Amino acid sequence: MSNAVAGWISTNWLVIAVPLIVFLAFIVVSIWARRRLYAYLEKVFGQKKWEGSDIFLDITKTSFFQWCLILGAYAAIQISQLSLHFKSLFGRLFGSIFIVSLAWTIISLIERLLRLYLKRIKALPATTMKVIINGVKIAFVVASILIVLDIWGMPTTPLMLLLTIGILAAFFAYRDEILNIFAGIEIARSNLAKTGDYVRLESGEEGYISKITRNNIQIKAADEKIFLIPNSKFVRMTVIISEKPLKQASQPFRFYTQLHLKELTGLKAGSLSELVSILQDVDDSVVYYHTHNFIEEHQYLTPQPANDFALWVSDALGDEVLGEKLANIDTFEFTTIGALRERLVDVINEELANRPDRRTAPQGREFHFIRSLSAIIPTSHVAHDLREFVEVLRMVSIDTLYFHIFEARLRLHKGVNDISIWLNDCLDEKELADQIAVLDPYTYTLEGLRSMIIQLIEKHLERERPVG
Amino acid sequence: MDKEIYHHAKAKLQDYAPLVGRSTIEALNALAGRLSGKVVQNINSTYTGGGVAEILTRMVPLLNQLGVDARWTTIKGDDRFFGVTKKFHNALHGKAEHVSPEDFSIFLEVSRKNLEELKFNGDIIFVHDPQPVVLISKKQEIGERWVWRCHIDVSNPDEKVWEFLKSYVVDYDATVFSAPNFARKLPNRQFLIHPSIDPLSDKNKDLSPEVIDSVLHKYGLDKEKPMIVQVSRFDYLKDPIGVIEAFEMVRKNIPCQLVLAGGTATDDPESDKVLQEVNDRASSNPDIHVLLIPPESDIEINALQRAASVIMQKSIKEGFGLTVTEGLWKGKPVVASAVGGIQLQIKNKFTGLLCHSIEGAAFAIRLLLSNPEYAQWLGKNGLEHVRQNFLITRHLKDYLMLFVSLYYPQDVIHL
Repeated sequence: MSNAVAGWISTNWLVIAVPLIVFLAFIVVSIWARRRLYAYLEKVFGQKKWEGSDIFLDITKTSFFQWCLILGAYAAIQISQLSLHFKSLFGRLFGSIFIVSLAWTIISLIERLLRLYLKRIKALPATTMKVIINGVKIAFVVASILIVLDIWGMPTTPLMLLLTIGILAAFFAYRDEILNIFAGIEIARSNLAKTGDYVRLESGEEGYISKITRNNIQIKAADEKIFLIPNSKFVRMTVIISEKPLKQASQPFRFYTQLHLKELTGLKAGSLSELVSILQDVDDSVVYYHTHNFIEEHQYLTPQPANDFALWVSDALGDEVLGEKLANIDTFEFTTIGALRERLVDVINEELANRPDRRTAPQGREFHFIRSLSAIIPTSHVAHDLREFVEVLRMVSIDTLYFHIFEARLRLHKGVNDISIWLNDCLDEKELADQIAVLDPYTYTLEGLRSMIIQLIEKHLERERPVG
Repeated sequence: MDKEIYHHAKAKLQDYAPLVGRSTIEALNALAGRLSGKVVQNINSTYTGGGVAEILTRMVPLLNQLGVDARWTTIKGDDRFFGVTKKFHNALHGKAEHVSPEDFSIFLEVSRKNLEELKFNGDIIFVHDPQPVVLISKKQEIGERWVWRCHIDVSNPDEKVWEFLKSYVVDYDATVFSAPNFARKLPNRQFLIHPSIDPLSDKNKDLSPEVIDSVLHKYGLDKEKPMIVQVSRFDYLKDPIGVIEAFEMVRKNIPCQLVLAGGTATDDPESDKVLQEVNDRASSNPDIHVLLIPPESDIEINALQRAASVIMQKSIKEGFGLTVTEGLWKGKPVVASAVGGIQLQIKNKFTGLLCHSIEGAAFAIRLLLSNPEYAQWLGKNGLEHVRQNFLITRHLKDYLMLFVSLYYPQDVIHL
């Protein structure tokens, strides 16, 4: 047996040696070529300072050697004395192995390069990144399968047709999602918006961007409602974004609301002298009620009726002159109810000193002294910065606004409204605090007052920029 | 007798949010939260009929929805007892009534029986009107907070009856009146809580133009002609003849029609006589429509008010005047006499026009029909005034505040 083998080798050694030598030559040349090529590439990448160089060199170095081996084996087979059938068979086999290796290398390379570059787009959601990478992977896998099938002589046209139809069907089925993904990439790439931005949409919704996903942007409004805006819609909208982080208050502004109940004192006046006599003795809550009750009861009116004393003197006693004098008392000038009461009493006494007190109210139209009872209740709304403050202020009830402007200033003896105190003490916004403090709230409806305060703060912010 | 109503299938509190704002409902919830664990026991004389039962039917379920354990109990009484309380009612309104010592004995006897049989289970005992007033005698024994809610005008009462009731009223922790001038000077705390209307009731809810048109068609009214409407029972105190005279003054120059819609009161023998007089006075004028509307015709009343160009309430004497509130809620300009509770609702030239005479009423109507923009402005203000001050949600808020204030004597309560 061994003699037979030795005999076959002695007669056919050239048939084996030539392809083997060719294959070994390819290996030697490959090693040399790879060394030269990668030395050159490292030099070029070093000069260009390309961040992807390590990835490229790491992944392709091994693959390059594999490709050389496959090429060497292919060449060896082609110059061998094998039949054409076997040559063709090995040719297809090595071709297929080469395509698989090439596809694998490209996929690995692209995956790592995409990760490197997409990570720099901070606003890009992780799921979008995953979708892009997987999409590219699938494309190369499909392409390599088609090439391999083609190498083996299998018909690929029907497959490609099928694939095209499948892709089109998938596109139509998931067109919104696809558009949202691309819009999401655009939002992230152009840095149109990012988590934490305060946005106001053309449709009126506004709030903070709490999350950006591959499909939509989640906007959290001041009332904790979440709006979902599809990415594709967001890029087509006109959006106002406040991108600069706002100054945070040292203490948040806690919004309160207040409710009133009327308590009868049982005291009533039918004439001016009775009115002034009782007015001097009643407690502050009574004076507060009769100088502020109209603000809440008639908060929709501009101009609002004057205080109850002025109305009664004009309407029930028919004393228009004194009525005008009492109406002209500017409540805003006073920082305490005691001082306001003194002024009211002085004006009535001045009038009584000049003429006898002959007028009396018709029966049933006496002045009834009423005490205001207040319950102050904290709401769930808190503001940490000016933007948040404005947004909450837009939605709180007028009772809340009333409490912080009127009740706090005069009834809780603070002398200034709550908003100005917070702006000054907790946000160090002295100028804005003063602008709101000098607003005379008695000359506005409560809604008008709300708009005015918002306007002042918005003007102060000056941080809005239109995009989209 | 001790039937307690915990749930009543009426409007849900959230249904009011579109009308009064979500923040109002939130505030009610916050306030109600402070009454957690407290039982409010309402006591009156009947579950059906009359204004108090109507208010409690709506109020108790709403309080329950807010998480307040509100209950409703009625006292028991025979015909003799209710005969006496009817006399009391009239006497307190200032009407001459002969109330004999025997009447007082009957009242006390039935009250004593109720004291023995009634189950008191409230932390706050909320007693409505004079019928159950004597129940306060139980206070010594069971303690708790007691409130007497007076729904009637006691500004000018029969002194004998008032003094008798007052001897019980003064023992309550607090009393509640509907208007300042309805109240009496008392040593205990007195609160002012105005009546209210329910914007979701048939009488006040929104109606489609088709419903309004069908009602106009039913009564043969011309929808193209300006309509002046007064809704009230046929009573001299509502001055229907005065309304006709004012209308005739206006009609000389401005084409318009008058609708006097209402019913007759079964307990008022004068009512039919007034209706007859009104019919006689109106028969010669085809533009005057006198409509005798049966009870439970709330949608028809609503439709007439909504079809009106001007709503009138030319009363000579008035309690609170809820028909004015209803008119204002429809966003219509209202012309009304400056009497009673009407003055609380209409700030002259701001939320409506007040008048003191037939001529004044005619002038006001003419002004409104000739100046539709001004009429519209008044109507809009009136509607907002009611939204802010005279809806059931405000009533609910006042009751919650009242209950809370029983535990806090100060003027400013930090909750």
